[in-house]
Parts: sequence; C-alpha cells; structure tokens
Amino acid sequence: MTDTTSRFGKPARIFQPSAAQPAPIKSTGAYAWLRQNLFSSALNTIVTIAIVAFLATIIPPMFNWLFLDSNLSGSTQADCTGDGACWVFIKVWLQPLLYGSYPDGQIWRINLCLLLLFVTLAAPFWLPHRMRNKVDIAMLLVLPFVAIVILDGRLLGLEYVSTDYWGGFALNLFLASASIILGMPLGFLWALGRRSQMPMARSICVILIEFFRGTPVLALFFMGSVMLPLFFPEGTTVDKLLRVWIVLTLFMAGYMAEVYRGGFQAIPQGQYEAAASIGLSFWQTTLLVILPQVIKVSMPNILATAVMLFKNTTFLMIIGVFEVLSTAQNALTNSNWLGGFSTEAYLFVGIVYWICCFSMSSVASYIERKLDTSHRS
Amino acid sequence: MLKKLTTAAAVLTMGFAATAQAGTLDDVKKRGTLTCGVSTGLAGFSQKDEKGNWSGIDVDVCRAVAAAVLGDAGKVQYKPLTAKERFTALQSGEVDMLSRNTTWTLTRDASLGLNFAGVNYYDGQGFMVSKSLGVKSALELDGAAVCIQAGTTTELNLADYFRANGMKYTAITFDTSDQTRQGFESGRCDVLTSDQSQLYALRIGLQKPETAIVLPEVISKEPLGPVVRQGDDAWFNVVRWSLAAMIEAEYLGITSKNAAKLVTSGSPEQQRLLGNGGDSGDKLGVSADWAKNIVTQVGNYGESFEANVGSGSPLQIARGLNAQWNKGGIMYSNPIR
Repeated sequence: MTDTTSRFGKPARIFQPSAAQPAPIKSTGAYAWLRQNLFSSALNTIVTIAIVAFLATIIPPMFNWLFLDSNLSGSTQADCTGDGACWVFIKVWLQPLLYGSYPDGQIWRINLCLLLLFVTLAAPFWLPHRMRNKVDIAMLLVLPFVAIVILDGRLLGLEYVSTDYWGGFALNLFLASASIILGMPLGFLWALGRRSQMPMARSICVILIEFFRGTPVLALFFMGSVMLPLFFPEGTTVDKLLRVWIVLTLFMAGYMAEVYRGGFQAIPQGQYEAAASIGLSFWQTTLLVILPQVIKVSMPNILATAVMLFKNTTFLMIIGVFEVLSTAQNALTNSNWLGGFSTEAYLFVGIVYWICCFSMSSVASYIERKLDTSHRS
Repeated sequence: MLKKLTTAAAVLTMGFAATAQAGTLDDVKKRGTLTCGVSTGLAGFSQKDEKGNWSGIDVDVCRAVAAAVLGDAGKVQYKPLTAKERFTALQSGEVDMLSRNTTWTLTRDASLGLNFAGVNYYDGQGFMVSKSLGVKSALELDGAAVCIQAGTTTELNLADYFRANGMKYTAITFDTSDQTRQGFESGRCDVLTSDQSQLYALRIGLQKPETAIVLPEVISKEPLGPVVRQGDDAWFNVVRWSLAAMIEAEYLGITSKNAAKLVTSGSPEQQRLLGNGGDSGDKLGVSADWAKNIVTQVGNYGESFEANVGSGSPLQIARGLNAQWNKGGIMYSNPIR
C-alpha cells in the first residue's frame, strides 16, 4: 500500500461510491410484471379483473366436477352417487371405446398393429442413414395390408375376427393411418398428372382431384355405404370398412394432390433445369430433386390435411361403423346407462383426440425444424 | 357431374325396384349364420353392452329366426345400420333381414321392394310432462311449449294433432334427443314429445325421473317390425312365423322355463307348437322343433318384452298395446297349426 497522506498531513478523501440502491419496487419482479402486463391502463385493469372473476367462478366448480365430486369406483350406474363426473361410465366402457368389440383374448393383435405403426413411423430415427428412404417407404406402404392380415387373422391361422367386431379409437387410428399412407403417394401421382402435358392424363387427374376435393366427405361416405352396394352384382357384398377405406384414401389423395401442387409451384424453375443439365430422367428429377423439396415446403399443409382426415374418421358414425364416437353414443343409449353421461363421454373422446392431434403436430414441427435447411434469414 | 348424378339416381331406383334373389333360407343354412340388420343403438330395442353382446327386443327377433333356422340363437351376425342405410343393406343382400325399429307403412311396403313380416312392437308418439303441471291428458295442453327433435315425423304429427284439436303450442326444436331432454329438464318447455318407447328412455335420463309422467294419449301409429326382401316367400314365411311363434307361445303360456316339460305334458296345442306332432317345421323348411328352440333359447314374446323394455329393464315400459289380445292389447298371432 502506498502512503496517501497529503501535503497537509491529513488522509486524502478518496471517493467511495455508496452502496447501490435496489431498483424501485415498481420496475422489477412480479409486481412490475403485473403492472406492465395486466394493469397498465384502466381498460387493461378492468379486463384483468373481469377475466379473473370469470375464471374464479368457472374453475372451482369445474375442478369439483372433474375431480373432487367425481365417482371412480364401482361398475354400474348406481355407483355414481356424487354430484360430479361419473368416470365409472368411462371405466366400464373403456375397452369398447378403445378397441371396439374385438374379442378379449385377441386384443394383443390390435396392440401389435399399433406397435408396428409406431415402429414404422419412427423408422427414420433408428434405421441406418443409407436405408432410410427405401426401407421406410416400403414398410409404410406394406403396413396397412400387414395390419389387415393380422387383425383379420385368417391368413395367419389365428382366430378369424370379422370387421363387424373392429371398432373404437383403434379403428379411427388405423383407418386414418391406412388412408393417409396410401393417399399420399396416390395424391402425388394425381398432382403430377395435373401438371402433365398429356391432355388425357391431365384431364383425368383434374376430374379426380376436383371430384374428391369438391365433395363433402359425408356425401362420399353415404355414396360408399348406400349407393356403391347397388352397383355390385346381387349377392356380392364388399365389406363396409373396405368401402370406407377406399373412400377415405381417395378423399385424402384429392386433398394431398392440391397440397403438392402448392409445393410444386414453390420450386424454382432452376431446379428442373439443373437436374436436366446433369442428365437426369423425368422420374429421377421428380423423385430425387423435386419431391423432397415439395415435401419440405408443404410440410405444414400435409400435417393439416392429415389431422383433418384423422378427425373426419368420426363421421363414420353416421354410417353405422362403431368408431370411438359412435361407440360412445351407443354406450349413452344403453338402457343400463341412461343417466345422461354425454358430457363425460364427449369429454373423453375430445381428450383422446386432442392428445393424438397434438402429438402429430409436435412430431411434424420437429420434422419441419429438422428439414429447415433453407437460406432464409 | 350432373350426368354422374343422374346415372347414380337411375341405378338407385333400379336397385330398389329389382326383386331380390331367392333362396335366403338355403343361404343362411349353408352359411351357418344369420346376418341381421339392427339399429346402431336404441335403448331396449337393440343395444350393444360393454362386452360387445347385443340385446334388445329387436335383437330377440333376429335370435328367434336363428334359433328356428339353425337351432342356435347365438348364430347371428349383427350388422348395425343407420336409418338411411337399412333398406339398401337389405336390398343388396348385405343382411338377410332387418329388425331395426322400422315403421310399417304403405309407401315402404309398396315401393321399396320389401315385405314386413309382422309387428313386434306397437309404438306411437306420446307426450311427457312434468308432474307438477298437474296435466292428466294431452287435451289439456293448449298453449304449451313443446320440446321436439327437429326434422322428424314427430314434428308433423304434433302439428296435425294440435290443429285437429284446435289447440295452440310453441315448438322448441333441438337437434338430438339428448339436447331435447336437457331442454325439458331445464324447464324450457312444459311438454316433450317423441315416440313412446323413446319417452321412457328419455325419462330415465332425467335427474329425477319420478317428477315426470308419460301421458296416456298416443297420437300416431308406429307399428315396428322385421323386414325381408320381396320375392323370397320361403324366407318371408320363416321370419313371419318365428315372430308369430314367440307371440303364440306367450298366449299358450309356454315360457323358456317350462317349454322342455310341456313338449310331452302340455295341452295338444302346446305340444303341437313345440313340435310334438304336426308338421309345421316341414312346411317352413326348418326342423320340427323350431318353435321349441325359439322359446327355450330366446323366450316367448312376453319374456322378451319384460326383460328388454318392461319390468325387468330400467325402461319400465308398460305392455299397453303390446299386451296379448286377450289381455287388453293387440298382439295377436295367427294360429300355428
């Protein structure tokens, strides 16, 4: 230490900053956040108070209904004694709601198919890089037929389960996946045809696309279930689910074709020219250069269409297929459960659907981020 | 597009007009199962329980036919059908018969290429009112607010009935029967109108079922029965007489409990119905004990009624018109001999 004594023999006064004051309470922490976001003006204050009051009146009764007063134990309507939700209803009907009337001992077959579906969807993550495209696409395209063989059982020597017993949420999932899987490549072909220079191919594709896109899916279902049987020679019947599957696939293809068309338009002409300049054929250009970019560009729309189709499978209710919603309605009209459990039933269906659609969009946005290789800022 | 629609319409009409293939009875015997079109869910009539088993008064008709033809009431393949699909499914041969609360009307009988094989439930439109209203008859309902499901013939019948009796009413329409019930419960209307069988189901759904009563008036005729394709008389006979056997068994006092015993110890009539003597089975093309199979496996009409919609079920529907003709109803079987 140096001696800082001044000429006058007094110690020099060195500037000592005083300790920092805490920030004014009004500008930090929860208080400031509340002030800035919720009470910044008279209008905001009023809106905040109104919303809080609204939530305060809604949430406690809802919470009570959902949890505190709800009934979970027991197995009949009489066990629902409290004022709250009757989850007994869902508990008793859970298996039909999820699996339809598939025989008890055979439910593993449905689970196996679900497992196969997930394994196939996750294949890009576990397959070696080289094989991904070829193997996974082949797996996907084969999957619906493998699932049908497993669920039907006759070819494998398992117990035969006719489609009358298929149902529940599994049926929604399977029908939606099967039609999405087959509808996507079909739609791509239609979209290619629409861009084609060949007048015949183009007009056929335009007609197909416009017909299936321009007709409500309900009308298509009715045609499939009410009109189509009359076209067949008498005595031959085509399974109702097969008819529905075809209708859904064509419907999906119609929509996907338009999604791809949007994607095609986003591909710069230079890509085609570059591909041509290195001598790629039409199919090589399309499959190796254009298709990957089209899919990347249209990812959000592809997802939106897939979710829409998935939700559309509940329309099957109106043609008497026991998917999850019509199973719920059937349960509601059962004479042992006439106590009015529609809220519980529809809430359950809604939650199950929401979980699935939300997972679908999470996966899709992950893929989108992964695919995002563009040079956009 | 227009052309396509025209073609479709033409095919549709052709399909309905065409008479169906004969030989359903042989087909069913060869196949070993009966395919029966039922409702997708109607309390007490055809409903699937949580185990996937079908039950109901309509389902019992399917089971009775299976018992008569195949000797086993369990050999039925149920095809749930919506109201719009039912006739196509029958026409196209997807189902062998319909037992799906279908009202027997002239138009259907004469123009759709099908035949009604009898009546297994006499329904009719009725009224449900809150007990506190103190109304005893539908004729006291002048000026009432009526809850009703939109777009059904019930709406038409209601208008006709009130106009015919010089009364006024306000219609409050809902989309589904569930919403209709909630409308009634919340007091938006004094009266709820629907088919009687529905009214009882709706009534149990109320928070306090005992506060509501179903009025005795029935303002429309809705005879419901099984339906088969036109032009297959052998099959038509089997379905018609299977239902008749259930009704006749009740009339003769044969139940699922005592049938086996009455084959030898019953009155001549009872014995004949149960296949001991007589050749009713031969004439129908089924086994001699066809009626006995029906009664032992499905029960007589009264047992089926009470178990599915009557005192043995939550619905608690009174027999009313559906009682035997000698007990104040109009259920009547032609003689089986």
